[in-house]
Amino acid sequence: MTASPAGAAPAPARRERLNPLTLLAAAAATAVITTAAGSWALSLAVVAACLGLSAAGGTAGRVLPAAAAVLIPFGLSLLVLHGLFFPEGRTVLAEWGPARVTAEGLDFAGQRIVQLAAVVLALLLFSFSVSIPDLVAALSARGVQGRFAFVLASTLTLLPAIADRARRIRQAQEARGLVVSRSLLARIGAFRLQAVPLVLSLIEDAGTRAAALEARGLSNPGPRTSYREVADSRLQRTVRTVLMLAALAAVVLRVVAPGA
Amino acid sequence: MPECTAAAGRAVPVNRPVLAAGIRDFTFHDGHAPVLHDVAVTVAPGSFTAILGASGSGKSTLGCLLAGWLPPGGHGTLAGFLQLSGTRLEFDGGAGDPRIDPAQWGRQVGFVPQDPAAVLSTVRSTVAEELAFGLENAGMERGSMKAAVERTARLLGLGSQLDQDPARLSGGQLRRLAIGCAVIPGPPVLVMDEPFASLDAAGANELAALVRDLIKRGTAVVILSQTVSPLLLEAGTWFVLKDGRLTASGPPAAMGPGSGLLPPAIRRLDGLEAATTPVLRASSRQPGELPAGPALELRGVSFGYPKAPVSRRRRRRQEPVPDRREMVLQDVHLAVYPGEIVAVTGPNGAGKSTLLRHFNGLLRPSAGTVLVHGADIGGVPVGKTAASVGLLFQQPRDQLFERTVLREVMFGLDRLVGADVAVARAGAALKAVGLADAAPEHPAELPASAQRLLALATVLARRPAVLALDEPTVALDGDGLALLDAAVRSAAEAGAAVVLVTHELGYARAAAHRILALDGGRLLPAHRPPGY
Repeated sequence: MTASPAGAAPAPARRERLNPLTLLAAAAATAVITTAAGSWALSLAVVAACLGLSAAGGTAGRVLPAAAAVLIPFGLSLLVLHGLFFPEGRTVLAEWGPARVTAEGLDFAGQRIVQLAAVVLALLLFSFSVSIPDLVAALSARGVQGRFAFVLASTLTLLPAIADRARRIRQAQEARGLVVSRSLLARIGAFRLQAVPLVLSLIEDAGTRAAALEARGLSNPGPRTSYREVADSRLQRTVRTVLMLAALAAVVLRVVAPGA
Repeated sequence: MPECTAAAGRAVPVNRPVLAAGIRDFTFHDGHAPVLHDVAVTVAPGSFTAILGASGSGKSTLGCLLAGWLPPGGHGTLAGFLQLSGTRLEFDGGAGDPRIDPAQWGRQVGFVPQDPAAVLSTVRSTVAEELAFGLENAGMERGSMKAAVERTARLLGLGSQLDQDPARLSGGQLRRLAIGCAVIPGPPVLVMDEPFASLDAAGANELAALVRDLIKRGTAVVILSQTVSPLLLEAGTWFVLKDGRLTASGPPAAMGPGSGLLPPAIRRLDGLEAATTPVLRASSRQPGELPAGPALELRGVSFGYPKAPVSRRRRRRQEPVPDRREMVLQDVHLAVYPGEIVAVTGPNGAGKSTLLRHFNGLLRPSAGTVLVHGADIGGVPVGKTAASVGLLFQQPRDQLFERTVLREVMFGLDRLVGADVAVARAGAALKAVGLADAAPEHPAELPASAQRLLALATVLARRPAVLALDEPTVALDGDGLALLDAAVRSAAEAGAAVVLVTHELGYARAAAHRILALDGGRLLPAHRPPGY
């Protein structure tokens, strides 16, 4: 059984041996610890590490736009909120009526933005690097219900499937005279024409597939097995436990010593 | 019909059917009239059975009922019985009807629907895992599962594709994978709906060999078809459906061309076609006086698909890409004049559809130019070129997206010719393909043959100067083929330049003025059709 490489083509052999749950634990622990620590240095280090890993893994092209889509609006709102209206701000840099730009406010906003960036990048890096079939197999092996594993896998593969179907509908419409220019308005207008047929065709497709899945025993109540073998090792299990404990410890420390 | 009653008794007759149905009526919940009426079918263990019927005869519904994909009570009401491996379930449409467990039924009866892709789970990343999906759900331990996957892959000739993404298989391989998914639990019966549609000669031969192999191993095979392909002559019994009723049954020998038992809409591809259904005449018409310029011209067109597949799912998995921009078309030259019908033949995967998609700009050549009426279409939006070039897609479902048949034909037509003319044109096009009465229906609910004809009507209504048809005969029954033939001829007579790609050489010979073969990416003149 050859698993499809989870991550980068240049180092498939190394990546293949990583259990998806180890990746998940690493991403989750990173997110929790960074949030709990609230430290400039740690957040920046995590951001840099994530950028480095995604560049090395060849996922930067997808991680960066997705991260930008989340971080730019959030970052701007944090900047406006804390930069202009930070009650504890003392060092005033500029002032317009009730709004004051303070050094403390900017520092706080910057810290929150970097912290958020670290969390978002860690989770995005995970979701773009993990092999979905491996993840589903790993979850099934841990007794996660077949239906749930199927729904999870379908959700993760849904967007590409929808995009593919929308492309086919658009081509059919173009072949019958629909002119789609490059402007955003024209694209939105064209999508409006595709939306109804897209939803209808997905529903129809789901109906046919449901019969096939039922006939292949998706609803079987009994235990299930997994054909796919997912690499795992004592070391990885230990790493996962350590990561989880570290995350827990970070939260406890944060609660016990809020000033830390 | 008959033997099935024997199963109710304790004594087991030698010929006890493994699967049987006695259907007094089957009506869909949203239907007015029964789709099936007085249909009795029996399938003996290890036998080979064909259920023949034209498009719309109810055979797909019968197939789904036999396979447990249409559990009575779910989508429709059944009055009658279904019998599987000696257990008979009686239905009268009431609340007390037994319920079918599709998973249990599926282990006894494998089903391969018309569209083999519908069987796939879509969440498994390799052929091996897709084959194993049903076994995983049954909780089989991994060692036995691996053995079953290897055994099935060997039987299907998919041994070298086990690690491939199912989404990247060819049509023939996909069909075999769907059969594999159906037979891997070792069901005593396999039901296949139109398994030969869209397979070229090599694919059909491979499938025939597989069917013989399965029968030899003791699987009863039931094939539902609207064409008599040579393999079906080997069947023990033919059941003939017409308008939802069983009109004949018996051995193939008793249903020869002279017997009158097969409706004319059932095409015979067994060498007896000429004697029975003279639907197509060899083209005798010269393409008249060729006008000065070609309607469509390809000059030195070359094309290769980009090395990375477009799907993000695949990109995410970063699979190695085996063929780095292998050229599908190489230096293709073609000129088609108004009134001319040109057929392009070639096996599955030769690049015929790729060629047609260049005519309106859905694909752009990596070298060379495409000219419509002498003007280069490079840089012109597809929607503009579409005013002159009509393209019939290979899969009608890729072409149909509207809510009703009439809306489907009207899409974009009013912008082209104005609302009043559009209504008249749409009506005429639907009439030309025999769908005038189906105007308010939902395209997805039409039988496959009617869907293909509707897709054709959407193209004809625009009266394009260039008509490009991708495998137009697939899924058409005899009546549909006659309508297609008439429509293509009249479009050509009205001055359209027609290019049709098909793997059915017989149709190409009968319909076209010129036959070209696409081979290794190059377009070569094939022999001329007889009488031309």
